Amino acid sequence: MTADPSETPVATADAGTEDLTLDETVAAADVPPELVAKSLGQYLRASLLQVRSGNSGVLPVILGLVVVAIAFQIANSKFLSAQNLVNLFEQSTVYMLLAMAEIFALLLGEIDLSVGLVMGLGSVVVAELVQPSGANWPWWAAITVTLLACAAVGFIQGTLVARLKMPSFIVTLGGLLILEGVAIIVLGGSLVGIGNSQYSNEAALYDIFWGSFSPVVGWIMLAVLVGGAGTGLWLRDARKRRRGLVAAPRGFTAMKIVLIAVAGSGVVAVCNVNRAHFGTIEGVPYIIPIVLIVLGACTFLLQRTRFGRYVYAIGGSATAAQRAGIRLTAVRTWCFILAGLISGIAGVLFASWQVSLTTNIIKASNSYVLLAVAAAVIGGTSLFGGRGKTIHGILGGLVIGGIYNGLYLLGVSSQVIDVVVAGVLLAAALIDVLSRRGAPGRA
Amino acid sequence: MTADPGETPAGTADAGTGDLTIDAKVAAADVPPAILAQSLGEYVRVWWLRVRSGNSGVLPVVLAIVVVAVVFEIITPEHAFLRPSNLVYIFGLSTVYMVLAMAETLVLLLAEVDLSVGAVALIGGVIAFKLVQQPGPNWPWWAAVLAALAICGGIGALQGTLIAVFRVPSFVATLGGFLLFSGVIVIILGGADSTVSLNTSVPNQNFIYDMVQGLIAPVVGWIILAVVVVAAGTAQWLRSARRRRRGLVTPPLSLTAIKLVLVAIFGAAVVIICSVNRGSSLRSVTGIPWVIPIVLVLLGVWTFVLQRTRFGRYIYAIGGNPEATRRAGVSLAAIRIWAFALCSATAALGGILLGSFFYGEYSSNTADPGQLVLYTVAAAVIGGVSLFGGRGKAIHGVLGGLLIGGIAYGVSLLNLGSLSTPLTYILPGGVLLIAVLIDVLSRRGAGAVTGV
Repeated sequence: MTADPSETPVATADAGTEDLTLDETVAAADVPPELVAKSLGQYLRASLLQVRSGNSGVLPVILGLVVVAIAFQIANSKFLSAQNLVNLFEQSTVYMLLAMAEIFALLLGEIDLSVGLVMGLGSVVVAELVQPSGANWPWWAAITVTLLACAAVGFIQGTLVARLKMPSFIVTLGGLLILEGVAIIVLGGSLVGIGNSQYSNEAALYDIFWGSFSPVVGWIMLAVLVGGAGTGLWLRDARKRRRGLVAAPRGFTAMKIVLIAVAGSGVVAVCNVNRAHFGTIEGVPYIIPIVLIVLGACTFLLQRTRFGRYVYAIGGSATAAQRAGIRLTAVRTWCFILAGLISGIAGVLFASWQVSLTTNIIKASNSYVLLAVAAAVIGGTSLFGGRGKTIHGILGGLVIGGIYNGLYLLGVSSQVIDVVVAGVLLAAALIDVLSRRGAPGRA
Repeated sequence: MTADPGETPAGTADAGTGDLTIDAKVAAADVPPAILAQSLGEYVRVWWLRVRSGNSGVLPVVLAIVVVAVVFEIITPEHAFLRPSNLVYIFGLSTVYMVLAMAETLVLLLAEVDLSVGAVALIGGVIAFKLVQQPGPNWPWWAAVLAALAICGGIGALQGTLIAVFRVPSFVATLGGFLLFSGVIVIILGGADSTVSLNTSVPNQNFIYDMVQGLIAPVVGWIILAVVVVAAGTAQWLRSARRRRRGLVTPPLSLTAIKLVLVAIFGAAVVIICSVNRGSSLRSVTGIPWVIPIVLVLLGVWTFVLQRTRFGRYIYAIGGNPEATRRAGVSLAAIRIWAFALCSATAALGGILLGSFFYGEYSSNTADPGQLVLYTVAAAVIGGVSLFGGRGKAIHGVLGGLLIGGIAYGVSLLNLGSLSTPLTYILPGGVLLIAVLIDVLSRRGAGAVTGV
């Protein structure tokens, strides 16, 4: 699938709005349903057509999430408790961010094996920079420098891959070895922690992961979000209709807004339950808006900008993209920079999550890359480039986090959990391969 | 480069044996010099041509080993790096990388990669160690080793099927395998805190312990060396004679002689180094570790399979151009599955040797499977195996593994304190990137198309 062209002239799309005959089935399967459908009923039919032709999008992973949720809820009634759901999201945060980082490489048909250690390096750097006995920087300066450093790592690796045409998996394999060493040097052989709330900078860093909005603020933010998103969606569709462009049916726009409101209310309601054993911990954790902002920014970048269209074009066919005048080197390098940057964000959250970092934690951060690839692929992003969205990282990350969380609740050992996750990764890769084979016009 | 065709009719090769014109140079660069050259002078010229066109073979890694050895000898305290005791230890330390890199070479030649070799090796080691336990299964050592190789070969065949039949990209299938088997190791060990160790007072278990730790007496070493040199010389002689009789091209006689002399000198050096007392004046330790002949035999086996059998030629052919190979009637899936199976079986042997190197004890901390695989791929690529398939030999894995082990041990000798751990990551990573860069650039120089 190439980029969604957000504005398609009516004439082209009209061909699909009639009754969907067999001939048009193939064409319809490659166009987003909201472009061809004029009513909600048509939309649903067009979606079903897409699913049947292999472009199933997020449907399998959502089904997977539901299955995971039901299975674990049956096995342990604590699984869907408000307390555990927040816990589950916290455990999934790093997977989700790393998967979103990985998707930029996967969309090109490349891979970045270093995201786990870029995260590890980022976490050590940010923690060292706010140490009162050391650099003692303000927390925001520490975060900015960390993100820049991680983006720079992405730039170096991207340059090697894009300009020197070195295979990405080897560049990032060598990269992760070097980063592991660098991270251990930065750590200085000892432990570094940010858990001392006496120092405002350490406390600020700690709160990024562990802090929450008060319940009232959560509801206000939701109202603002739903109002803003609703108005935006509605106005965009209205503008499209005025200009004579294809727009999603009104019923579909309204349904989307209602869905956002319902889902958002659910999240806020769950988060506002007191989840502490003693005292009070309630409210929407900061990490939820952080993850949503990263998701929104990446989705906008990939779906609505020229850069995003180029990324999909290169993933679809690098030769075709090059002949169309796209500068492969620049786009590829930027994708690796973005992967580094998002891994850096994950690193800041990782430092905050772990509170204190040791050499062993840095070494272990290596294995997160496997889970990041697994999350992206489970979410529905193809390993062969050109197919995938950032939301896949979120959903896949939730599946992985859910499996870890659920099996842990059942008292299963971590080795068995690794085996299960590996099985899920292999199954997802197999589905990806087979669905590409089934889809028309794909090798 | 495609496979060295063991037997080329004289007619074809003759084109290159004349004065090397520009036209013949391109062809010459793709054919082993031993086939082209009729005299030693020509051989050296053809060889130099190949080096210049990017087919530098083992030259870079041998130079790198020399540089590393000289540099570490100069910078280590008391210039200890080249002491016989350290050299023997380095070989033991490098064994697992050498064996795993040979295994990985099989797969890299197909332009695939196996990221699970580290985990599979550890599984093989743990299985073999578990099977000789007494009380316990108490299998004879050879049955335990064979069982470990067979089980791991089966694992490799499964991964190979995913890759060859279902076309799951190899790095994803084996990434999943890596994760899966890393968990399985701990499960069959019986928990994260469990260990399995060999009891050296039981001869059956001691045999596996001796694979790396056991020593061959210097006298026996000299005898073995003499036998090997004479046998290799006779074999070469007979082969040349047979080829000449059949009217095929033979390598120049002087070349064969020089090769034999080199093998004899190298072997003598190894035996002499191993004959120096590495222990104390009270308790002398001399002799050749068993692991040296074991690695050499393995090297011989894989060199033979890759260079002299049909299976080997198919592997090079698939790595060079899978579509052309398929049209030539070769079953790609079968060859690929076999390559992954043999890779995993070889890795299992590496795992057994690793356990023996660690004084016959396996725990979940014996080795990190992730680091093992990184070092392995690095060793193969540093040795000169191409990542793009079709170029590489078993000897490249051995030399690359030796280089990696040498660097790792050299760094540990330096007493860098807190810097030594990070350097054991940074140096192989850096060397890997440089090796791949050279690989990429030399392929570009050789005129091979790498695509967009």
